[in-house]
Amino acid sequence: MRLLASLALQNLGRRRARSFLLIAAVAIGSGVVFTGATLMRSIDDSMAVGFTRLGADMMVAPEGALTNITAALLTVEPTDLVLDADALSKVPLASVGRVAPQKVVRVEHSGIGGHHELVDLFGIDPARDFTIQPWLREKLNRELRAGDVILGAGRDAPLGSQLLIFGKPHLVYGKLGRTGVGTHERGVFMSFATLAALAGSMSQMGGPRPAALTPGKVTGFLVELAPGATPQQARFAILSAVKGAKVVTGDSSLSGIRQGLSALLQGILALMVLMFASMAVMVSVLFSAIVTERRGELGLLKAIGARRAQMVGTMVVEAMIATGVGGVLGVTLGVLVMRLYERSLVYYLENIGVPFVWLDLPRMAAFAAASIVLASMIGALGALYPAWRASGRDAYDLVRGEG
Amino acid sequence: MLKCRQVSKSYRTERGLVTAVAGVDLDVPAGRFAAIIGRSGSGKSTLMAMAGGLSRPSAGMVEVDGTDVWRLSDNALAAFRNEKVGYVFQFASLLPTLRLIDNVALPAMLGRRHGASGTYARAAALLERMGLGGYLDAYPAEISAGEQRRAAIARALINDPALLLADEPTSDLDEQTEIEIMDVLRTVNREVGTTLVLVTHNLALAEQAQQIVHIANGAIVA
Repeated sequence: MRLLASLALQNLGRRRARSFLLIAAVAIGSGVVFTGATLMRSIDDSMAVGFTRLGADMMVAPEGALTNITAALLTVEPTDLVLDADALSKVPLASVGRVAPQKVVRVEHSGIGGHHELVDLFGIDPARDFTIQPWLREKLNRELRAGDVILGAGRDAPLGSQLLIFGKPHLVYGKLGRTGVGTHERGVFMSFATLAALAGSMSQMGGPRPAALTPGKVTGFLVELAPGATPQQARFAILSAVKGAKVVTGDSSLSGIRQGLSALLQGILALMVLMFASMAVMVSVLFSAIVTERRGELGLLKAIGARRAQMVGTMVVEAMIATGVGGVLGVTLGVLVMRLYERSLVYYLENIGVPFVWLDLPRMAAFAAASIVLASMIGALGALYPAWRASGRDAYDLVRGEG
Repeated sequence: MLKCRQVSKSYRTERGLVTAVAGVDLDVPAGRFAAIIGRSGSGKSTLMAMAGGLSRPSAGMVEVDGTDVWRLSDNALAAFRNEKVGYVFQFASLLPTLRLIDNVALPAMLGRRHGASGTYARAAALLERMGLGGYLDAYPAEISAGEQRRAAIARALINDPALLLADEPTSDLDEQTEIEIMDVLRTVNREVGTTLVLVTHNLALAEQAQQIVHIANGAIVA
């Protein structure tokens, strides 16, 4: 009803300082929740990208192969030794999560780079790979096909241009970002099929056929641990299951960081829920005081024939307007804070090559709407109980300021 | 019009049970002007509140225009207060954030019996009749206490109540304003035929009534 809504609005205007403080408190609360939820989601998404870029937890290579220990396990090492391609899928390994098989051959006179330059050609399974493709800085707007190659950041060729490898034309499908891992920087990556198709051309150059190009064989596997599994468990399981293999463990702190950060984000979420709950209690306490102060007005409304629902409605509408405005202001505040965040921390992170993936606009709008609705609901719930209690009192007691 | 039978009201306080009204029987026929007189704390306002559906009696029965008031449901009781009874309190009882015309129109708008335009036309006419035609858009704080009281009478009359209850309506007003307010109330009683019950401790005002009920210590003494 227009008059009751107008009464609610006028009441907010009557106590400007109190209304302002209420709106400010709700604005801060919902601003924190909106910003926190958006940033958490963005950090979560960024972590998903960042962690995939951290590479594998361990590498499984043939026992006699020489391996370099690098900060991040992104590729296997070039070697003449091979493993069976199904070595890790023959037996179930509970401690092993994802497995990415790779083939690598080091070639000369390939037509890439200088004449005598040694080039590492990597074969990957695009469906299982989790160490190469997350680093794609740019790529064609389609899936990787036979005849496509991906270039490491140290190689320069325009996207979509043709690259001759052993005289055969290939298309530059994508380019990787800088990793600091040598093999990754200088490598040329392609699907197993594309690499296999080069075997004939390599033989024509007079060299022996690399063992890695033998069907059913791979140079090694990059392995990600199953959630909760330790490197020791996986190492023991793999060595028991695969004969003639060795397990090279990467930086073990990375999996710890991955698991720790997830737990931290859960903790932050719990704190935000607690904060919202305390805001609800605060609004309820405040409206208890407001209802007490306005007993006379409520009594008068009751005396002239307001139904209980109308009396409660007036108070609830008043609370919803105040907390809803607080919610809108909070979201606006949150957007400003995130803008600041974008200009400082995100800018810094991106400058040092750490990706930060902002939440997409529809989801951010949904978070904003949810924060405003939640703020209004807190107002409604906070006012509901004290208003309902007061509306049940005798009109005469309320008019006299009792009850 | 108004019938009370063995109406009592007791409060539980820290000092024990306090009886404000004890087993009162009262009859006020339709169209009559009755005055309830008594000293402060005698129970006259409590009796009026029970008669008008504002305060639930601890015991007894209140009937207004054939309706057993305290047997009504919550919503029916709200409708009863809205349609059958008009109140004029002993203090300025207008909502400070609404204009005079909104204050007067509010009970009719709550009842939703008429459209907004008809209600506002009637509210304007009532304010005009109370001599407040120039203050339709004024806020209560912008007019005098006597004018506020007249606006409260206009509000009490907006739904054509069968019973008008006035609880010491001139208690804090000067003599001239008191005369004006009483004139308005008597005119309503006489010309419209609205039953008027006036609660007062002022014997001179009570003497204008057709029926005087004297209450002391919660019981009718004369």
